[in-house]
Amino acid sequence: MLDALRYEWTRLTTLRSTYWLIGLGVLAALAIPVIAGFAVGDEEMIPEALAIMLNGGAAFGIPFLAVFMAIVGIFATGHEYRHGTIQPTLTALPQRSRLVLAKLLVVSGVTVVVTFVSLALNALAVLVFWGELPGLFEDPLRAALLGYVAYTLVYTLVGLGLGLLFRGVPSALVVIFLAPLVIENLIFGLSFLPALDWLVPVVKFLPFSSGARLMAFDLSEMSGMGMPDFDYFGRWGSGGVFAVFAAAIIAGAWILFKKRDA
Amino acid sequence: MITAKGLYKRYRKTVAVDRLTFDVRPGVVTGFLGPNGSGKSTTMRLMLGLDHGEGETLFDGAKFTDLRRPMDKVGTLLEAKPFHPTRSARNHLRMLASANGVTDKRVDEVMELVGLGTVKKKKPKGYSLGMAQRLGLAQALLGDPRILLLDEPTNGLDPHGIHWMRDMLKHLAAEGRTIFVSSHLLSEMQLMSDELVVVGRGKMIFNGDVDRFVREFTQSTVIVRSPTAEGFVPALETAGAEVTKGAEGELVVSGLEIGAVGHLAFTEGVELSELSTRSASLEEAFMSATGSSEEFVAAEPPAAPATEKTDGADHA
Repeated sequence: MLDALRYEWTRLTTLRSTYWLIGLGVLAALAIPVIAGFAVGDEEMIPEALAIMLNGGAAFGIPFLAVFMAIVGIFATGHEYRHGTIQPTLTALPQRSRLVLAKLLVVSGVTVVVTFVSLALNALAVLVFWGELPGLFEDPLRAALLGYVAYTLVYTLVGLGLGLLFRGVPSALVVIFLAPLVIENLIFGLSFLPALDWLVPVVKFLPFSSGARLMAFDLSEMSGMGMPDFDYFGRWGSGGVFAVFAAAIIAGAWILFKKRDA
Repeated sequence: MITAKGLYKRYRKTVAVDRLTFDVRPGVVTGFLGPNGSGKSTTMRLMLGLDHGEGETLFDGAKFTDLRRPMDKVGTLLEAKPFHPTRSARNHLRMLASANGVTDKRVDEVMELVGLGTVKKKKPKGYSLGMAQRLGLAQALLGDPRILLLDEPTNGLDPHGIHWMRDMLKHLAAEGRTIFVSSHLLSEMQLMSDELVVVGRGKMIFNGDVDRFVREFTQSTVIVRSPTAEGFVPALETAGAEVTKGAEGELVVSGLEIGAVGHLAFTEGVELSELSTRSASLEEAFMSATGSSEEFVAAEPPAAPATEKTDGADHA
């Protein structure tokens, strides 16, 4: 297994795209507290705003780092097929399950480290502009930030699974961007129509929307104005829905990878 | 030693590899021949567990997928350019080497060995096909393996490169390694291989040494040149020979040994200006062996358009 981990580490670190994708993700996330610092740096920092500053706007609907890390995940498997390197890879490392496991472990490890580094850089930016990090180590901010790390990790693993499932990059990219932006928003919107109210119980099982609740500061549901009662799971329950979605994709892709011709 | 038993692969209704069984001995170069679409690459992929099918291949007694650090035992070259475009050639090898405990020093050694030492930090997307093949061979040699499995390694090489590859493989075989190499360059195989595995439409056509292949799949013919060749034909046919006329008027006789033809000429009082045998080349033997099993057969090229004659002969 150590050989497989060494292989995947070398594969990841000898690709230029790994560096610019991580760099772009970290910089895009960092841009949020920096821009906010210039714009409203003289206003008081509250824990709710701090959550958005630290996760780079992810909880606000723009998960920059997660998206870029998901592309790293897609490339981890999709590139192998796109450029035909899956053949030399499997002749150097013919035990397919070891290869998949190594990819999962290395990409996960890198994602978690990069997310913590991004959090630290954003915290530094907040300190520069506001001089304080109120409530950083207290719930719900602490839980929301840990949820952000989990969200980024699961998002990346969904990317890795999709790359392996589709054995390429374009299809995986389309699915990972279309699913949350179009399909889930459509189901969420349609659930407001009385004729389609049977969609209401489905909403709490939408994987990307559920995953986003991992990093929410305030988990209380909006009510009034005809808003249906979605009966959402809690932070970690919603995260569980996202994680089960990722696990299902990875399990399916893994089984097919073992069965398919390379 | 490679032992392949009952290799079988089907794509829906098409049988790509049909129960192939053969051995590849160490110390010699074994060529793997077949027309396009005959299942050579699929067979190699089956042997390595890249494709799923039936049968079993053992490399010195072990299945490839059971080998830990397989590059130490089996070196492979399958596809011409399986490289990421932005990863340098050296890093491509380092990546594969890292899965097999091969050092960076060895990576540099094999790059020098195949003549890519000066361009090792360049990206393979800028490599010619010949350079890519050299990089592929470097990859195969990384673990200094006892067995090499190479799919069309001379593709894209210039004559110097082909000569180099041939010498390299012969040298490696002379060290006692097992070399299994496919190629459509039949003349190359004749120079490079000691033994042959020949397939057509996935089926085994021949497995043995090159000379036996030529003997088995070619009908040696006897060439007869004579001022009275036409008159000699009935006697030859009466003796059971098949006779055709060559391009230069010579008789091409099959079904009779040269001695019998000579004796017949003597008894019939036929004057001979040439009596010789003609053996087919490996290429002719290959065409004879696989002619009916080609997967993709091109149409005959159209005849050249007739040019108008100006000497008036046709109008006579």
